This record gives sequence, structure tokens and C-alpha cells, in this order.
Amino acid sequence: MDLSIFLILVQDGVVNGAIYALLALSLVLVFAVTRVILVAQGEFVAFGGLTYAALATGQTPGAIWLLGGLGLAAFAAGLWQERGRMRGGTLLRHALFTLALPAAIIAATLVLAPRRAGILVEVLLAVAIVTPMAPYLYRIAFQPLGNASVLTLLIAAVALHLALTGLGLVFFGPEGFRAPPFSDAMIIAGPLMIPGQAIWILGLTLALMLALYAFFEKTLTGKALRATAVNRLGARLVGIPTAQAGVIAFGLAGFIGALSGVLIVPLTTVYYDGGFMIGLRGFTAAIIGGLGSYPGAVLAALLVGVAESFSSFWASAFKEVIVFTAIIPVLLWRSLRRGHGEDEE
Amino acid sequence: MTRFWPLACIILAALVPWLPGMPSFWVTLLNYTGIAAIVAIGLVVLTGIGGMTSFGQATLLGLGAYTTAIMSKYYDISPWLGLPAGLLVTAAGATLIGAVTVRLSGHYLALGTIAWSVGLYYTFANLDLVGRNDGISGIPPLEIAGYRLIDARMSFTVIWLGVLLAALATMNLLDSRAGRAIRALKGGAVAAASFGVDTARTRLLAFVYSAVLAGFAGWLYVHMQRSVNPTPFGFYQSIQYLLMAVIGGAAHIPGALLGAALVTLVNDRLQDILPKLFGARGNYESIVFGMLLIAVLQWAPDGLWPLVARFRPRRRAIQADAPRLAAQTMPERGSTLLEVVRLRRSFGGLVAVNDIDFTLKAGEILGLIGPNGAGKSTIFNLISGVDTPTGGIVRFRGGDLTGRPARHVAAQGIARTFQHVKLVATMSVIENVAIGAHLRGHASPLAGLLRLDRAEDARLYAEAARQLARVGLADAADRPATSLALGQQRIVEIARALCLDPVLLLLDEPAAGLRHNEKAELATLLRRLRDEGVTILLVEHDMEFVMGLVDRLVVMDFGTKLADGPPDVVRVDPRVIEAYLGSVE
Amino acid sequence: MSRNSAILAAAVVLGLATPALADTIRVGVTISTTGPAASLGVPQRNSIALLPKEIAGQTITYTVLDDGADSTKAVANMRKLIEEEKADIIIGTSTTPASLAMINVAAETKVPMISLSASASIIQPMDATKRWVFKVPQNDNLMADAIAAHMAANGVKTVGFIGFNDAYGDGWAREFTRAAAEKNITIVANERFARADTSVTGQVLKLVAAKPDAVLIAGSGTPAALPQKTLHERAYAGKYYQTHGVANNDFLRVGGKDVEGTILPAGPILVAAQLPDSNPIKAKALEYVKAYEAANGAGSVATFGAHAYDAAILLTAAVPGALAKGKPGSAEFRAALRDAMEAQKNVVMTHGIANMTADDHNGFDSRARVMVTIEGGAWKLLP
Repeated sequence: MDLSIFLILVQDGVVNGAIYALLALSLVLVFAVTRVILVAQGEFVAFGGLTYAALATGQTPGAIWLLGGLGLAAFAAGLWQERGRMRGGTLLRHALFTLALPAAIIAATLVLAPRRAGILVEVLLAVAIVTPMAPYLYRIAFQPLGNASVLTLLIAAVALHLALTGLGLVFFGPEGFRAPPFSDAMIIAGPLMIPGQAIWILGLTLALMLALYAFFEKTLTGKALRATAVNRLGARLVGIPTAQAGVIAFGLAGFIGALSGVLIVPLTTVYYDGGFMIGLRGFTAAIIGGLGSYPGAVLAALLVGVAESFSSFWASAFKEVIVFTAIIPVLLWRSLRRGHGEDEE
Repeated sequence: MTRFWPLACIILAALVPWLPGMPSFWVTLLNYTGIAAIVAIGLVVLTGIGGMTSFGQATLLGLGAYTTAIMSKYYDISPWLGLPAGLLVTAAGATLIGAVTVRLSGHYLALGTIAWSVGLYYTFANLDLVGRNDGISGIPPLEIAGYRLIDARMSFTVIWLGVLLAALATMNLLDSRAGRAIRALKGGAVAAASFGVDTARTRLLAFVYSAVLAGFAGWLYVHMQRSVNPTPFGFYQSIQYLLMAVIGGAAHIPGALLGAALVTLVNDRLQDILPKLFGARGNYESIVFGMLLIAVLQWAPDGLWPLVARFRPRRRAIQADAPRLAAQTMPERGSTLLEVVRLRRSFGGLVAVNDIDFTLKAGEILGLIGPNGAGKSTIFNLISGVDTPTGGIVRFRGGDLTGRPARHVAAQGIARTFQHVKLVATMSVIENVAIGAHLRGHASPLAGLLRLDRAEDARLYAEAARQLARVGLADAADRPATSLALGQQRIVEIARALCLDPVLLLLDEPAAGLRHNEKAELATLLRRLRDEGVTILLVEHDMEFVMGLVDRLVVMDFGTKLADGPPDVVRVDPRVIEAYLGSVE
Repeated sequence: MSRNSAILAAAVVLGLATPALADTIRVGVTISTTGPAASLGVPQRNSIALLPKEIAGQTITYTVLDDGADSTKAVANMRKLIEEEKADIIIGTSTTPASLAMINVAAETKVPMISLSASASIIQPMDATKRWVFKVPQNDNLMADAIAAHMAANGVKTVGFIGFNDAYGDGWAREFTRAAAEKNITIVANERFARADTSVTGQVLKLVAAKPDAVLIAGSGTPAALPQKTLHERAYAGKYYQTHGVANNDFLRVGGKDVEGTILPAGPILVAAQLPDSNPIKAKALEYVKAYEAANGAGSVATFGAHAYDAAILLTAAVPGALAKGKPGSAEFRAALRDAMEAQKNVVMTHGIANMTADDHNGFDSRARVMVTIEGGAWKLLP
């Protein structure tokens, strides 16, 4: 291996790792607030990427009907969960969020999609279509499970993943899609050829991380989410409803997933079920980071990306074997460092 | 009787395939159910009871499956010999993998299982020995006296005999000394360790046991399927098994059967029903299955079995005449039992215990008092090996105990109770108490599995019953432990501690939550214990209780010792009044 | 209703069994319409709808199940189709490992099956078990030989191989290694990638570093485009070969200009319109394309779906003979059906012309593959 190959592999690993990092952040956030390990995180990536790919070729993405259906289901689920307890204002807000919002997005898509409104509009539209799905799903699937064990929540997340993969096949078909890059620029730096899309990925990842940081540190909602993460009961006592925190956390997860999908679909082919393996990498990073540390998760994600890149060079047939075997000592180290102190949950 | 009715069900079920008019495909489905149920029973032990979430069971199944496949296909060795070989390979593999994995905690463990499972999957897929991705086909079926068990009905008998054995063995195991240790993991590894349970080994035991069941299922699978390739051993399949266990009720053996049956049958029915509802174009099985699953979990977050049968511990017959367990010889009254020298524990910048000294003489009751946050419980944890001191020495009967693990401390005859009660909710009172006698029994897990431990177990339970009677809770023996009032649960903890046959008893706020007359009874009990030679160190807030009971007091504040002496001397110590009473008023 | 009785009720509802039909030939189909092989299974399922509903005066019914490319499920499906639906013949499944798992069931239940997957190992070497198994897609060795021959004729001496890290890629690695050795072609790099990989940079760097005259990519459907696109980015200038696994229009869509000039072997159906009229396959293939696109939209056809159609052609040819020996639903009929399929000669299918023998249950010869290239975003028949 010479230096140029080394650098190319590092570049490849870092770009992939950036996406894993985004997903890891999202997983940490969702787990901290709701105790759900969001196995279905990858589906939002796939849906985001496939929706953008459809828009970029002037097609009306089938995902809008999925959005509408999920909104309707969330509306019904909300009514059912709060039988008789939902009064005028709350009911109106609930209807706005679950019925009017998807209706508006669907209308906008129907109007804009055939007109080829430009990359920016298409990106925004794709993210807007996929993002609200996540809070709807929280409303439908997880909110009623508020007090269940982590294991039960995990299995519910697995079930959600199964259902979403099935829906993905129905709405997007079995074949993969790609979209044109945001820019055709190619930066040549010595042996490195850095496509413009990679710069976009790194830039937006960084920007999103900073935005998340600002959100958690500076805004009231962000602080409320952090409070929920630290102590659910306490947060509720001071007037932060757990359910609302869950909706926001899932909203962020949907947003991050959709954005990741839009970012990668110009670089690689995205399949209806391709999100799962990407999500698994994010999950790996999130756990190495301790499911609580945001910087730890980001660092771990970059390491996973680079490890993957190098092992696919050394022994591609054993790539997964190498990457996952390498994880075990890291886990052991992390686990022992945390110590055996008090009991686990 | 209650514990035998699942067995009766299984025996009845064995007759099912021979019923006239029984569709043969249903028998096939029940065969798949049986194989999955065996894996799920393993997960009940590992995940539902042991608290370790595994995403790798399907891969362990693969170890057993490939072993017998290779032996019977390439070396013409009888599949019946493939069984012990497969179990051995799985057990060896699981011991190797588990040695690392069970040391991981919480989510690290879950990811650890994913890691080795993905690794092994791709190793299978790229290994020539096991036929790479295409696998091995044309594997011989099981044979009995030259008769090949190809017919689904025949396989059914073998498979459900296997399920029966697995269920029985698991019930036996969980009811044995080793099984109680596994169940104790869920009530808190700290409590288990404090009664001498080697938690790392117990976790490994649960892991290897579940793996052996998976390997057994793998053996059945291979000789029924008669071909093998990596796809049934992947991550997705592992999730399926976990899903079955959880949906059935992860902490219950019948739940594993229920979950396996439900998932298998529902998946099959969906294949028939959905095309009729939605037409043949498009696949909606996974969508509907996922939605059903979520609905069921919302309806029954702890799985379905607890809805069918509420947790009711069985009545345990106690052999009161079982020979008594060997007892410790108590140290000579008045000799130095415990010496604590300049004991120190700091958490970062905070010094919780600041160079504390005190000694404890055999046969006395010493009270450790102080305001909240004075460091009393930390001292308990440091002595009992739950926590490691930053500095100082703990000496017990002349030997150094400093920083020794909890189970070693327990083996020296030091038993404790906890400020926050640590009883196992899914066990009865007497079962919880019997955990205290863990170190006084020696039966191996295998002996428990095979029911060779009954004589010893009867002695352990007789001892547990004796200690329960001693603390006045004999009537509560068969109630679920956490159904008692909190105060009484503390008393159960004392009975559990007494089961260790302790030389030194560490009691953390034993009187909290007790009514007045109960406190008086407790005081009488503790005095009697002292008279029998047991030394007692207790932390307590109730001054009246303490003053009337103890021989000596150590007063702490902010991690430092303020005073040390008989109650009536300490009571008038100005520093104590200043720091203690002054701060309260 | 209490929860307990609700559980019971659910069990009763789920237990409803399907009524059996009389006097029809029942065809059981298990294919991978979900999971990693869905791009093969979906067009296959869509093709089932086009199959004849009547052969030689007998009603034909089709029951289609999905196995998600899981071999356990494939075998369970097959047993279900045989035991519950009383299938006389099984068509499926889409992937090699699952097909291999099914052949035991075919032999022990004495129900013939027609596999829709690639590897020759499903029907070779012929033995008592595989007697019951037929296979309509071209054997992978036929395709591998074609690529090796084309390479040799075009001066390729060294090849870099990159294939799926699954049975498909593995089978190709094995067959191509053999075929290349026969033509004195050296394989200088042998890499693997996963269907859903987002990056194959590592593998491609290794391929490029080995400086092969040509690269062979063994993947199916759109995922096979990723290595080629990455090779292009790395300015690899040699020849590109793909396998017949990519022969659908989605591959062209995703590959775009990066797959121009790629050479691959394929069933003649891929370029049916370009075949000479004298080729008997042309009419059959166009018939299928027309029917498929009429039902599923223009440009939707994929060669994988045509394998299901070919299975029905084989079945149609064999049924009249078998009916003489037994009634549908009987063991005699199934055995006769097997014998009749084995005896078929010169059956014109969309993918080739089959001549079955006792030892060859595929029966295709070199007429079952053409060499194709991609030109102007379309498939073009090479002379």
C-alpha cells in the first residue's frame, strides 16, 4: 500500500463515516429521550434517498402517499390513545400536524415534481416528505409503549423496521436508484479526487452537528429534550411532556435520516432495504460511544468508516468479519472502563 | 401440580400429528415451531432471566448444524453421534465467545453479540469446509433401527421430545442452586455477588446453556431440512428468535413455546390470507406482520404468557427433617473481628469516606450513624467488596479483605442487606432467601439439570425455611418477594443474609418502613443473634431503635468520623450534637 | 371479551384452511419477491400472471409464495405447496442456495420442480435426488465459457474479478476461474462486495492496482453498477464485462453513461427484436415481452421474469404426455410429468432451445446465450 492508496481509503472512510456519524447522533438522541433503539433509522435514509432520486428525474415519488397514510394513521392513533381527553385546541393542533401538514406537502409535491424546480427545491421537498413520517410512527407505535422495557421497545423497533422495509418495497420497488450530484465539481488534491458531493456531505454533516449543538445548548426545546434524557420523571414534573419530547426526537431522527439519504444517493446506489446496513453501522458507532456521548459516537462512526474502507481493500470477502471482530476489543475496553459499579437497568 | 401442566400439554401435543384429519403441513409447521421454541427457551434463560440480550442465537444454531452436517455428509458418521459432537462444538465455541462477551455490560453486550454473529456468518459464507454460500445439501436424515425419519410426523416426535427435554432441563436448571444464581442476576448482580455468586461465571453459564440449546436446535434443523447454508444463521434470523421470546413473554418457558408457535403460525397464515385480501401482486406479509407485532406489544408489553397465567410461585414442600447444613464456628467473643484502618474512597474530587478507622469486636452490635450523605452506605460497599477503596485497609479475622471482590468477602462469612432492597421480583420469598445459602451448597449446574442435587437442595431450602421462621415470616414463604410491604422485604433480606451463616452481619437501615412493634421484634431478633455469637454492624436512622440496641456507635459526617463510643457517651458529645442534631433541627 | 378468549378467537380465525379444488393441475410457486433477491423475484411473480390458465383441456392454478431468499422458508413453502395445496409441480426458487435446499423435498415427495436459479450445481452431477429437478435459466458455466471465449478472442490475458459476497458472486468466481484457465486467462484480482454496500473504493483500488486487461463484475441488477461507476471514477481504461444478472433496464438507468461499452452474455430475449427472423427464439421471446409490458408498462421487462415463463413452456410441453399416464393430483401423474419433461426435445423458450436428457435437466446449448453490449443506453446484440 502506498501513500496515495492510504489517503484515498481514508477519504472514502471519512465520507462514509460522516453519514454513519449522523445516524449515530440520531440514534443516541432517540435513545436518550425515548429509550428506543431505533432499528428503523436506516429506512428513513433509504426513503429520503429514493424520494430525492424520483424527484430528480421529474417523477412524483410514491412516498407522498406513504406520508399521507402515516399521517392519517397517526391522527387516528392520537384520537384513540387520548379517547375523549382531546379538547378543542389540542385536537386542532393534532389535526394540523397529522392531516394538514401531509396534505400540504403532498399538494406541493404534486405541483412541483413535474416542473423540475431545481436541486434545492427537490432536496427540501424530499426531506419534507420523509421527515414527518418518523414522528407519526412514534405516535402510532412507541408512544403507547412509554413505560415498556428497553427490550420490548427494541423488539417494537424491529417490528417497525420489518413493516417499513415491506412498505419500501411496495412504494419504491426492488431496484436501486441514483440521483445526480449537487455539484459536478471535482477537487483534485495530489492522488485524491474529491467529488463535490463528498464536500457537501462533510460540510452538511458538520453544519448539522453544530446546529444540533446549538439546539441542545441554546434553545428551550433542546434543553427540555436534554432534561428528558437525564430524568424522564423529573422532566415530566417540571412540565415537559415525555410524549412531546418523543415526537421531537423522532422528528429529528426522521430529518437526519432523510438528509443522509439525500446526501448519499448521488454517490452510491440506494435500495429500498439498503438503509438497514447503513443504520447498523450508525448503531455500532452509537454504542461504542456509550449510547450517551455525542462526540464519542461521531469519533466511533469515523473509525468504523475508515476500518470498513481499509478492510475492503485488504480482504473484501472478509470485510464484515474484520470490521466486526475489531469492534469486540473496543467494546471490551469501553465496557471495562465503565466499570462494574452499580447494577444495570 | 402447576409446574407439571406445561409438560402435560407437551405430552398431549406429541399425539397431535397422529390425529385423523390433521393436515400434514400443520405438522411441518409445528416442527418448525418446535425447533424455534428450543432456541427461544435458551433465550428465556439468557435474555428474559439472565438479562443479556443476544442477537446471535441463530449463529450458535449454525455451529451445531454445521458440525453434524459435516460429520454425517462427508464422514458418514451417524447423525446420532452428530448430536453430542454438535453440542460439544457449540458449547466450546460459546465458551470461547462468551468468555469475552459476558464481560460486556448492557448495550455493549448486545452489540458484541451482533459483532461475532456477523463475523461468523461471513466466515461460514467464505469457508470451503462448509460449502461457502451454497452450503451442504443431501445430508442424511435421522434413522431409528434402519428407518429413516423423513416423514413430518416422525420428525415431529423427535423434535417435540427435544422440546420436552429442553423445557424440563431448563426448569430443573432454574430450580437448582445454579439456576437461582442465574435468576438472581436480574435482581441485581451486586446482590448476587454479595452472597458468593460468581456473576461472571453465572453469566457465562447462562450464555453457554442457551448456546447448547441453540446447537441442539441446529442439529434437529439440519436433519429435518437435510441441507444447510449460511442464510438460516444470519442476523435476521437471530432477531426472529429474540422476537419470539419477547412476544411470548421473555421470562417464561411456556412463553417461548407460545411465541415460537405464534410467530410461525401467523407468518404462515398471512401468506394465505393476504393475497385473498389484497390480490397476488405485491407483498404485504412483512408489513402486516410488523404492524401486528407492534399491536401485540402495545397490548402486552411483557409478552403474552403473563396474560395467560399470572405469576404465582408454586408452593414449595419443605423437608424440615433434612440434615442441617454445616455451620461456621463463631470467633471467640470479644476478639477483634473487623479492623478498618484509614479507609478512604473518593469519587473524582469528592471524598465520600475520609480516612475512617474503627474496629469491631466479635459478638457486639455496632451502629454506624450520621446524616444523609455522610458516607455510611459507601463504607458498607467498601467492606462488602461491592466497591473498591481508594486507600486504607480492611482486615477481617486477621486476613486482608481490602479490595477483594464481593463473593470473596461473602465466602469469609460476611453477609449484608441493602438500603435499596434487592430482591428478585420473579422469585418467591423463600427462593430469594435460599440464594443466601448459595455458598453452603456445592451442586454443579449439570447436577441441577439432571436433578441429582435434590438432597442438597432440600437441605438448602430447609435452612431457608428455618431462617424465614426465625425472622417471623414463615407464612410469607411462597409469596412473590416484591408483594410484601417494603419493611418486610427488608426483613426478608435479613433472612437471606442469615442463610449465609454469617460471622458478621452488615445491615443497611433494617428498621426503615417497619411499624413500632415490628421494630421491637427486630431488635429482639438482633439481640438474640448477638447472643448466638453473630457480630452486627448496622446503619440506621431511627435513633430510638439504635440507642436501645447497639453496644457502641460510630458517628460520621461528610465522610469523616466524629465520634466513637457507647451510646450514652456519644449522645452527649458536643460535636455530634452540633453536626448531627444541630443540622437536623 | 377477555384477553384469553381473544387469543383463542384469533387462533381460530387464523386456522381457516384453504378448500381444495378438484380436477386441475396445481402449480406451486415459491420465489423471492422480497429480501435481497427481490429484483429477480418481482418480475418472476409478475410473469406468473401471464402463464396459461389451461393446458390440454386441464385447468391450471398457480399459488405463489414468497421465500425472501431464505432457504428455510423456501423449503417450508415447498412443503406447504405440496402438502396443503397438493401441487403437482413446483416452480422456484430464485436463488441457488434455497433451490439446493429444496431438491431433497422434491425427491422425497416425488414432486418435480423447476428451479429458476443460476448455478449448474442444482442439476449436476445428476443423481437419484436431482432426477426430480429441472432448471430453466442458463447454467452459469455456459455463461462463464462465453465470457472467457469472448475475452480470449479479444486479446484479454488478465482479468480482475469482483463479485457479490453471496452465492451468486461465489458461483461466478468458481465457474469463471475454471473457464478462464481453459483459455489461459489469468485472474489477477478476486474481490467481493455486498449488494447494499455504499462504497467499493477499497476493492476498486485493488483491481486498478492489478492492472488487468479487463474487469468482470458478477452481480445482479442495479447493485452491479456501483463497481463499474467507481472503476470509471478511478479512470480504469480496460474492458468491462458483466454477467447476465444485470440484464434489466434498471441497470441501464442506474449505470448511465458509465456502463456504455460493457460486454455481457445474456439470454437471447434481452435483444429479441434484434435477432434474425430465422431464429425460432425470436417469436417466443417477443411474445413474452409484449405480454409482460402490456401488463406492467413499457420498458418494465427483465430477463429474469422470462425464466418463469420458460418454466411454463416446459410444463405445457410435458403435460399432454403425462395426462395419458395419470390424473392430476396423483403420484402417477407427477412421475409421468417428470418423465415427460425429461423427454422433451427442441422446446423453444424465450431464453433458448432445450433438449432434455436423463443427464441434463437444463438442455440449453450455445443458442441460449448471445453476447451483448451497451450502446447509446440500450442493449445491442454483438455478432
